[in-house]
Amino acid sequence: MSKSSPFPTSAESALSTNKVLRNTYALLSMTLLFSAAMAVLSIALGIPRGAAMICTFAAIGLVWFVLPRVEESSAGIFVVFAFTGLLGIGLGPMLQAYLSMSNGPTLIATSLGGTGAIFLALSGYVLTTKKDFSFMGGFLFVGLIVVFAAALLNIFLAIPALSLAVSSGIILVMSGLILFDTSRIINGGETNYVRATVSMFLNLYNIFTSLLHILGIMDD
Amino acid sequence: MDMPMWMKITWAAIMLFFIIRMIPVAKDWLQNGPKGSSKEWMTSAMLLGGVVAFVGLLIMLVRSS
Repeated sequence: MSKSSPFPTSAESALSTNKVLRNTYALLSMTLLFSAAMAVLSIALGIPRGAAMICTFAAIGLVWFVLPRVEESSAGIFVVFAFTGLLGIGLGPMLQAYLSMSNGPTLIATSLGGTGAIFLALSGYVLTTKKDFSFMGGFLFVGLIVVFAAALLNIFLAIPALSLAVSSGIILVMSGLILFDTSRIINGGETNYVRATVSMFLNLYNIFTSLLHILGIMDD
Repeated sequence: MDMPMWMKITWAAIMLFFIIRMIPVAKDWLQNGPKGSSKEWMTSAMLLGGVVAFVGLLIMLVRSS
């Protein structure tokens, strides 16, 4: 009688890592398209800023309180689509404001292309070199706290230079998180593709909005 | 764009909640997470430097258009 080991062999482990990676990228591309479609719909319907903000709050609530309960089941996929769709709707009024600028469409296209290029370059580097960037975890989480504390302060202070510094900080931290998240998937640190997709989506969403903000200010 | 006060307070509460949730995670990673060699840190600094240079290039492109 053969006994199966509870520990995966290296071949089994590589197969499972490959599956997580493939599923993450597949779900990520579908949710990005869905979110973009929801953003276009939000612009077309002229969703007001208050409603868009409520959608963004609802998306945050979903990812904090609902996703952890369903991430191991197929319901997790529906929650990811709801989360990314709500964030897409939330982007509508901001994109509308940029579109009303003379150089707006160029700014949005440049930010979109720039975000894609940053993601492809960093994720591609980790995929080809298979380097482990988990050592950056502490640094990135502290960076995230510092950037959020500065953003929190700037909600009330509204200093343009601090706003620019926060956006730059967000791009740096989120770029680091792309390295960190991709290397965790490759090295088996992340085995749940639903969670991995949400992390990667948030990295891209934050880079896009921050890049758009920086380019918008610099274009003035 | 100026936000109404209710939006500012809600955003501030969300961010504060996020920061409070992140503090133990960051502490745990700092104390128990893997440590990188100076070569590994140099690699990540160069990659992030590349991102900074790329953003600078995009700013120049937008300003010249």
